[in-house]
Amino acid sequence: MLLESLEVHKFRNLSGRAAWSAGLNIIYGDNGQGKTNWLEAIYVLSTTKSFRTQRPQEAVAFDEELAVVRGRVARSLDVHRDLQVTLQNNTKILSVNGKRETAARYLTQLHSVAFTADELETVRGAPEARRRFLDRGAVALHHSYIQTIANYNRVIKQKNRLLQDASENELNTDEVLAIIAPWNEQLITLSAEIHRTRTDYVNRLQETLERRLFGGEEVTIRYVSSLEGKGDLSDYETLIAERLRLRLEAEIAAGRALIGTHRDELEILFDKRDIRAFGSSGQQRSALIILDLAAISVYHSWHSEYPLFLIDDIDAELDGKRIAHLLKHLEGRTQTFVTTSKESLVKQYQAQASVYEIKNGTANESHVGSFDAGRV
Amino acid sequence: MLDYAEPVTKLIDEFKRLPGIGHKSAQRLAFHIMRVPEADVERFADALREVKRRIVFCSICNNLTDVDPCRFCASTSRDRSVICVVEEPFNLVAVEKTRSYNGLYHVLHGSLSPIRGMGPDDLRLANLLTRLKPENNEGIEVREIILATNPNTEGEATASYISRLLKPLGARVTRIAMGMPVGSDLEYVDEVTMDKALANRHEI
Ligand SMILES: [Zn+2]
Repeated sequence: MLLESLEVHKFRNLSGRAAWSAGLNIIYGDNGQGKTNWLEAIYVLSTTKSFRTQRPQEAVAFDEELAVVRGRVARSLDVHRDLQVTLQNNTKILSVNGKRETAARYLTQLHSVAFTADELETVRGAPEARRRFLDRGAVALHHSYIQTIANYNRVIKQKNRLLQDASENELNTDEVLAIIAPWNEQLITLSAEIHRTRTDYVNRLQETLERRLFGGEEVTIRYVSSLEGKGDLSDYETLIAERLRLRLEAEIAAGRALIGTHRDELEILFDKRDIRAFGSSGQQRSALIILDLAAISVYHSWHSEYPLFLIDDIDAELDGKRIAHLLKHLEGRTQTFVTTSKESLVKQYQAQASVYEIKNGTANESHVGSFDAGRV
Repeated sequence: MLDYAEPVTKLIDEFKRLPGIGHKSAQRLAFHIMRVPEADVERFADALREVKRRIVFCSICNNLTDVDPCRFCASTSRDRSVICVVEEPFNLVAVEKTRSYNGLYHVLHGSLSPIRGMGPDDLRLANLLTRLKPENNEGIEVREIILATNPNTEGEATASYISRLLKPLGARVTRIAMGMPVGSDLEYVDEVTMDKALANRHEI
């Protein structure tokens, strides 16, 4: 997978175009000039989402109606496709070669994995961040899974409201059962599908996990169903149906859904200890890199091509040794985009990279000049 | 102080009450109305008034109609033993366009959606139960109820609710299949649809 060029209009403070190289691209600039915005634009183009906000529409420049991110992707030597994401009010228009496409079809064209400060939530934040990491990876394999997740969230939202209303209106258990059964029925099917998909995805990650990439410590992961220890997980549908029946009164009392895959967890251990509670911030970063690399590997073995890898503020997040390790590992694999404000980093890697200097939102490829002779 | 003169503001506010119309669209529509000839506006206003005065809910199936019962329920050539349940009148139109369905309809005017305050009592369901009795259906027994609610979570919940309600009464309840759009190449079918179509495959 190769992003050949990217053109942006009214996306945050950016406008203009940049042509990228295969291999390592270094986006360099002082803070506030817009280097992370370029990375975000690449992420939006490849995932239709932002790594900074739930609503990518927030990236529309102030006082503008819409923002456009357009990119040319090489799917093979001879097959090039023009992708475009138009952000406007509450909508997102996706198109391939000028023709409007559904999200499920659009997403088959390009994919990227991002390592950013926000993504560190995966290793140190709430379980929800880890479930999102899994779902993001699984959607990249099975695009139809995105609909399963959307339906599940919708069912939970509806069910929560029902449970709230039920306790406010003091309905008895039988009355609640009658109106909640149609939602639980979908919850069972959707939960089972999510459980199956995530478990399968974690198994795939396990197989490719470079446990000791950064030295002696070992990273291990495990999908922990919230129904673990409650019965036979291999017959998930029956088990969850039974739990829903047994816990109905508790759910009414709580006023929200207590049973389902929205309570599951991805356990991440660093040297057998929970990374979230016991990992140093360096270990957490190492673990996330290892997870991201595993996601990249799984994607590659499924699609036979590598996604893009985006690393924001690389020197702030990783020390010199880890950066060297990582970039070495990525060589010959992904098209990689990193941002940095450190000139020393640029100097160190410019021989093997293309360097883009960002000023006032505009990207200029540096061939000669401030970095001696950059790669042409 | 108002941004616009009072009558303009009132018109914008009215447009904003319509589903799917935000502030910007409401402004655009209001300014359009001010630009067009008065006769056009009169015709528009008449159409609004007339639809409200002449269109009623069919007392049998809840379809929107200018005669009660509606032309489907009053028809002598339609199969009264099958009822197709839809969410909205425009869903009925979509089924009818196939020209392959000759039964009756039942319009719910909505679907179950707690977050939008739509519960079972807000659906027009009570008269569906009445219709199942032969004495209320010109002596004919209803042998099948087809649930053609939308294939989203709300439509599925609605179908499930109705089937739980009707099955104990001995009625045969079916759900329309979801799958491949006919006439399209496999290549152009999105994965979600393909997934459903595979899951709903049948023997040939
Ligand atoms: Zn009627």
